[in-house]
Order: sequence, then structure tokens, then C-alpha cells
Amino acid sequence: MSTSTIEPQKQLALSPKAKGPFLRAGWLRAAWMMCLFWWIGCGIVLIFRAWAGWDPLWDWSVITVVATLTAAPIGFLAGIGAFDYWVRYASGAPTVPEDHSTHGGKTWKDYFRPNTDHKVIGVQYLVTTIFFFVAAGLLAMLFRAELARPGMQFVDNQTFNGLVSVHAALMIFLFVIPAFAGLGNYVIPLMIGAPDMAFPRLNALSYWLLPIAGTMMLLSFLVPGGAFATGWTSYAPLATDQPLGQVFFNMGVQWAGASSIMTALNFLVTIITMRAPGMTFWRMPLLVWANFTTSLLVVIATPFIAGSQFFVMFDRIMHTNFFDAAEGGYVLGYQHIFWFYSHPAVYIMMLPGFGIASEVISTMARKPIFGYRLMALSLMAILVLGFSVWAHHMFVAGVAPWLRIPMMVTSMIIAVPTGIKVFSWLATIWEGRIHFNTPMLFALGFVSMFVIGGLSGIYLAAVPIDIHVSDTYFVVAHIHYVLFGGSLFTIFAGIYYWFPKMTGRMFDERLGKLHFWMTFVGFNVTFFPMHWLGTQGMPRRVSDYAPRFGDWNMVISIASFFLGASIVVFLYNMIVSWARGPKAGPNPWRSRTLEWQVSSPPPYFNFDELPQVVGNPYEYGVPDARHAVFNGDRTVELEEVNT
Amino acid sequence: MRRGSILQLVGLGILFGGAATLVAVLIPWLPPVASKQRDRIDFVFWFTTGIAIAVFALVAAVIAYSLMKFRVRPDDDSDGPPIHGHTGVEIVWTAVPAVLVAAISIVSSVVLVQNDDAGKNHMNVNVTARQFAWTFSYPGQGDLTSAQLRLPLGRTVKLHFRALDVIHSFWVPEFGQKQDAVPGQDTSLVITPTKEGTYPVICTELCGLGHALMRTSAIVMKPAAFRAWVHEQQNAAKAPPGQAGQAVFASNGCASCHTLKAANATGTAGPDLDKLPAYAKQAGQPLEDFVRESIADPNAYVQPGFPKNLMPSFSTLPKPQLESLVQYLIASGKGSK
Repeated sequence: MSTSTIEPQKQLALSPKAKGPFLRAGWLRAAWMMCLFWWIGCGIVLIFRAWAGWDPLWDWSVITVVATLTAAPIGFLAGIGAFDYWVRYASGAPTVPEDHSTHGGKTWKDYFRPNTDHKVIGVQYLVTTIFFFVAAGLLAMLFRAELARPGMQFVDNQTFNGLVSVHAALMIFLFVIPAFAGLGNYVIPLMIGAPDMAFPRLNALSYWLLPIAGTMMLLSFLVPGGAFATGWTSYAPLATDQPLGQVFFNMGVQWAGASSIMTALNFLVTIITMRAPGMTFWRMPLLVWANFTTSLLVVIATPFIAGSQFFVMFDRIMHTNFFDAAEGGYVLGYQHIFWFYSHPAVYIMMLPGFGIASEVISTMARKPIFGYRLMALSLMAILVLGFSVWAHHMFVAGVAPWLRIPMMVTSMIIAVPTGIKVFSWLATIWEGRIHFNTPMLFALGFVSMFVIGGLSGIYLAAVPIDIHVSDTYFVVAHIHYVLFGGSLFTIFAGIYYWFPKMTGRMFDERLGKLHFWMTFVGFNVTFFPMHWLGTQGMPRRVSDYAPRFGDWNMVISIASFFLGASIVVFLYNMIVSWARGPKAGPNPWRSRTLEWQVSSPPPYFNFDELPQVVGNPYEYGVPDARHAVFNGDRTVELEEVNT
Repeated sequence: MRRGSILQLVGLGILFGGAATLVAVLIPWLPPVASKQRDRIDFVFWFTTGIAIAVFALVAAVIAYSLMKFRVRPDDDSDGPPIHGHTGVEIVWTAVPAVLVAAISIVSSVVLVQNDDAGKNHMNVNVTARQFAWTFSYPGQGDLTSAQLRLPLGRTVKLHFRALDVIHSFWVPEFGQKQDAVPGQDTSLVITPTKEGTYPVICTELCGLGHALMRTSAIVMKPAAFRAWVHEQQNAAKAPPGQAGQAVFASNGCASCHTLKAANATGTAGPDLDKLPAYAKQAGQPLEDFVRESIADPNAYVQPGFPKNLMPSFSTLPKPQLESLVQYLIASGKGSK
């Protein structure tokens, strides 16, 4: 898995001394500590309920929140070893000087324990998120089976609502957001010439929160009453009186959100403080810019969704009345807080994709990014405007009437920086030397599909049209053109683009192309007709619908199964190429950015020689231009630069 | 750029624009129009569509042209021309979209203001939403209530929404208007029906188990027919208890989930009310108590085979209405034996 020359260290655990199998950080300790912490959580609940005189003493809704969804995961993290260093440090116990024994992927086992190497963490992120992507896709195929014909066939209403909700929650919180974080984790330190992220242990922890959040959401199907069934938006007051599965969403979002915030902080500090000499902000690749703006969005916005979910849970188990109108609660308040995160979240799910598209398009078209500075500035413009548009999700929700026109105008204005980016990509491929390979197919597929998603966004921003199509399949079509045609296509572009860097091997180009065309056709046949369903009168999140929509729903369901099949091609290509693909070499795409100037996969600490950045990252076609030079050839190059 | 390539690019643009226009025109995108408000919404829709087709055609043409002209073989190692940008072009593609979205915003704002204006001579209808039924009441017509929304043709109506439990959303696609009903908050919506007919009323906000079933209809009638209906309903309310019970049954949307032969109700989401005596026996309660409890506290006993928590409590019904409903259900059950 690696070509480095560093000898494997004998000791791989985070704790300094090798202990017995029960005390050594690992899965065994995680198992028993999870049980122990679960009982500690129960104990806390029982003591307080007894003290306050609550009856019954044993209340599953409280036990579930405190013991199962809070204490047990903390026990798991402690057991797996995510806190070992900090606990020793904080308690004054002897800590070994950092020997980097937890750094680097030497064997496959290193991917199943906390590891501080951003490259290992990046791969952990990607594999985990693809697992949840497949799971969420299978859920989608289950409810598409139900929707193939009008009437009820396979599942009951509560299960249907659960399938829809878990599908969306997993795709958003366990796939799109963390998949970008995973790609960024692998690539960003390399791109800026840093040996690792700024806080490697925090980075390791942020990964391990993800499987917890995802497992929580999937397990909600097993509790009495079924999975959470209020959509991924989980509007109060419906969410406060649903069966127990609902708290698995409330808490799952907390774990995924905490992971998001930790990674974002890490990106910010890394990008601000750890750039290689000469890497000024205006020399950063656009993916670094994109992750910088995304991280700002995450850090500012994510606490709002955390708050909204806590309020819902407090209403359920602590008898507060945040959203109970009869007790003076403010029902609409939930949506304001929720969308104040969840609209910026749309950009959290899209800006890194913009960055990936810029990298791939510039490299594969062999041309500099057209209007580089305006591209970076438009990211910043989207960041600022993104916080001023949330009420466009609430045009029919009963917001103050005066709020609608201002929020429509700001929503419309976001089309301007977004348009700048699209036109700049087009100008970049214009007169280029286009290599039409798999990453480029996905990048250009993204541009064309995202334009459709952006245009349907204009319809939704226009208040009168939105009033007609809000909460219909038109919205379902729009979000899938943005999140599937937009985010997912760029995630695929990124995975194919950096696959040779991560594995040192080349994927099968023919299977890659097959995967693209299956995805492209399946995607459009699945989601384009949904626009029509919506404008004609089919609401979203219904298990049953008017018979006249039956034929198109059948077409959509069949196309969605075809789309599901395309993932098999992708997985097969990735797994087989990882094991047996031809060697890729350090720079198969002849790219200029720093990650391609080191071996594939890179050395444990990324750069054996410190890079000195001397120019812009996309100087294709500029004679003798260099993005960076390494110590070895530095003196010569610096002279050239100075002349 | 040579003139030939400009012509090719324009040709591609016309091709894609033409294809998109055909898709827009040949497919019936919008349901039939049945209100003044929908007319205006449709105008914004087509105005936006015109702009969207132009943008789509431009982007598609540039991508297609680039892929035709600028593709190279995989072993081609050359680079493209080092063009870093062009301030003039960048200003144009910032300014033109800004103007276009400003135009859409202005048109939308004008339409929004018009669509929110109920005028002076409007009729008021109070809409109560609950899991999973709609009730419409007419304060100007002696507070008569109905499970269907009946509206006179051409008269502007203002709907005032109230939600009893969770958020619901009222939508009639043919009217184009939609509004959430929010617990603890008054919301309203203006509709001016312009076409006779029966249209679906759809709940568009996920409201729980029975969300997909929360449907009724909006019936637009000639003003004279509407007046006749109002008279008929007002007389029915004064009728003997049996008929009063039938009116309560009809106006609370019971028929959307339950079967009851006497009321021509054929819903299947909830238990068959023609079998009430049998259910009461299974529950081990006297029929009358059982029926009363099942209306006020539906979860006290749920017939096996039907989901719990699906039926909302109707304990808020005024006592005389509740009693007449109970008597009506008992009588209907006996009659069908």
C-alpha cells in the first residue's frame, strides 16, 4: 500500500506501553468500554430520575439518548484509542515524545485504527463514505420499488417515510459532506506543501465520529416504531412526537456535525499556517480555496443544526416547549434555525466540487484556469451570500411576507458568482487540448448537469413559481441535479483523478467511461421526468400518488435500478484496479500542482524535500513556468525566477 | 476566431436551444389553469423558461463545440494557449446574468404582490388542518363546515389556515397556490377560481403516517349552484340527529379513511365502520361507549391490522356534534346488517 523506505515501527498503538489485549487500544477495548460506558450512562439517568422522583425509573427514550447514543459512542472512541494521548497529557501521566508510530499506512490493519496520517484518514473517509453511499442508494431503490406503481405494494407508510428520511440523511451527512472532507484530507496538505494536517490527532478523531453517526442512522430501522420518518429536514413539531427512531437522527446529526466542525477547523488552520514557502493565497490551487471557504461555512453554520436538533430532543425528553405552540413555542423557529445551517450546507456540499472541477478541467484541457482570481472571489461571494438566503426554503411556510422578496433577490444574486464559475470553466476548455478521459468526463458532466440544476434553482428562487412547486417532485428533481449531477459527479471526478495518487495504480479507463455513461444516462432518465411530475401535481415524500403519474414513476424506478447497477461497475473498477492495476507513476496527468510532484502514493511525510513555490498552479502552455521547485534544484531555479 | 467557427457555434446554439424549446412547448408541463393567480404564475414560469433555454443553449453549444474541435489523442503532449483571462469578457458574464436575474426578480415581485391581494369584496374560508384531514368552514355562510372546499366561480376567496397538531400544507395544482398551515400561527392564501371543475387538494408537507392520504377536493361551482349548496347544508344542520350526524361525518373528512355504506364512504386506511359492532365485541366494550371512545381517544383500542397513531383525536368536536356522530354511526351499523 506504500512505497516508503521508512522501517515499520514495532509499536503501533497510541499508548506508550504495550499492555495486555484488553487494555491496549483497539477493537477489543472499544467493545468492552462501549458496554461499560453504556451502563455508566444508564446509571446517570437512573440516579437523576430517582432523585427527581420520575416514574417510571427506566424510560427507554431517555436511556436511548443518554446511554446508547451519547455515552456508548464515547466509550467506543475511548476504547479504540482516539483519546489516549490527550487523556495522558491532561492527567499528567507520562506521554512518550511523538514518535509518529501512529502515522502512515503500513499494513491494511492501519486503516482500522486511529491513524494520524492525513493520507490514511483520507482513504478511511472515502471508503467509509462510499459504504454509506451504497447503503443509502439501496434504500432509495427500495422506495423506488414501492413508487413504481400507484397504491401500496411492499412497505407501509411509516417504513416508506423512514426509507426516504434515512436515504437523504445518509447521503447528505454521511456521504456528500464527508466524502469531500475525505478528498480534501488526502489532497489539501499535499497541495499546499505541508507534511500533514495541523492537528493530526483531531483529524483521526474526526474520522472516527463518522462510522458512529452512520451506524446510528442505519440502526434506527431496528428500534420499535421504525426509523426516523420525518424527512432529513425533520420539521418540528412532527419530530417531537414521533416514535423513538427520531432521536437516532437528532443524535446522528450531532456526531456527524462534530466531525464536520473538527475537520473544518483543521483545514482552516492547516491552510492558513502550513503553506509551503512561497505559497501565497493567490498561488493556491482552487481546490484549496474551495476547502477554505467551505470550512468557514462549516464552522459558522453547523452549530445551528446542532442547536435545532437538540431543541427537538429537549422537547421530547426534557419537556421543554421550544416548538410546542400550545405552550408558547415558536413552530417556525425550527425552520429558521435549521435552514440557517442547511442552506449554507448546500454550498458545503458544492464548493469543494467546484474546486475539484477546476483542478480536473484545467489539467485535462491543458490550459490555465480562465480568470483565476475571479474564480476565488466568486467562492468568497457565495460564502457571504449563502448566509442571506435561507428563507427561500420557507416561502410557503408562513414567514413574514416582507421577508420573501429580499430573500428572493439574494437567492437570485447567487446565480451571478455561480454563473461566473461556469463560464470560466467553459472559457478554460475553449481552445484547450482536451483529454476526454474519465475524470474529465465527470467534470464536464458536472458542468452540464449543474447548469440544469442551477436553472431549476432560478425557478425555485422566483417566489410565485416556488409557491406552486414547493414540496413537490420539482424540488426533488432540483436537489438531485445539484447534489447528484453536481456534488456526486465531482466526487467521482475527484476519486478517478486522485486514484493513481492514492493507490499508485491506474484504474481501468474503459470501465471508467462505461461507469460515466451509465451514470449520465441513468441519472437523467431518473431525475429529469421528476420536474414534470412536480409541476403537474405530485408532492414529495408520499408513498402513494395519483394513478395518472404511474407510467412515469415506472420509468423512473427502472432508471434508478439501472443507476444502481452503474455503481457495481465503479466498485469493481476501484477494487480490482487498487489490487492489480498497472503502476501509475508520480504524475500520470502531467499536472502542475504539488501533490503530483511526489511519488504515488506519497512518502509518509509527503515531501522528502521542502517545496518552494515560485509561481501559479495552472501555468499550462507558459514556457518554462514552474509552480514549485524542490531543494535539490532550488538554487538554479531561484536564479531563473529572479531574472 | 474565424467566421466559420462562429457560424458553427451559433448553429449548435440554435440546435440545442431549438431542442430545449421543443421540450418546453411539446410537453404539457403545467396542469390546466383554474385561477387568476395561476395565470400570473404561469407568466413568470414561461418568462423564466425563455431565459433558461437561452443559458442552457449557450452552455451546451460551447461544451459540444469544444469537444468536437479541441479534443486531442491521449498521447498528445502539447499544451493549450496560456490565456489567463480577459477582463472585458469577465465583466460581461458578470453583468448579463445579473440583469437577467434582476428582470426575473422584478416580474416575480409584481406577480407576488398581485397574487397576495385579495381585494375588498373577497369571501373568507377558514381551513383547519389536522392529521390527516381538512375541514373548511364558511364564516359568511353561517359557519357551515365541509370536508371539500367548495368555491363559487369568479369570486376571490381568502383562505385562513389553522393547524391543530403539526405542520400541513395546502396545495391545489390547478390554482397554483400553496400555503403551510402552522400550529400557533395564522397564515392565509388568496385564490380567484376561473374555471368550473373538481380539483385535488393535496397536503404537501410531510405530516406523519397518513401524509400521502391527506387529500380532498376543491370544487368550483357556478355562483347559483354554490348558493344552492349553502342552503342545502344549512338546512341539513337543522335536520334530525341522524342527518346531523351524517353532516358531521362528511364535514370532518371521516370518509377519506373509513368505509361506511350509509355515507357512500369507501376509505380503506382505517377500519370499516360498517363492522363497528364486531369491533366493539373484540374490544369488550358496549357499542356506544366504544364508538365514543374511538372518536375522542382513537389509540385507546386499535383494531388489529391497522396502525396505531394514524387517526387523530376528535375530542375537540362540540358535544352535540360528537353525540350526533356517535348515534349516526350506531344507527348506520345496524342498518347495514
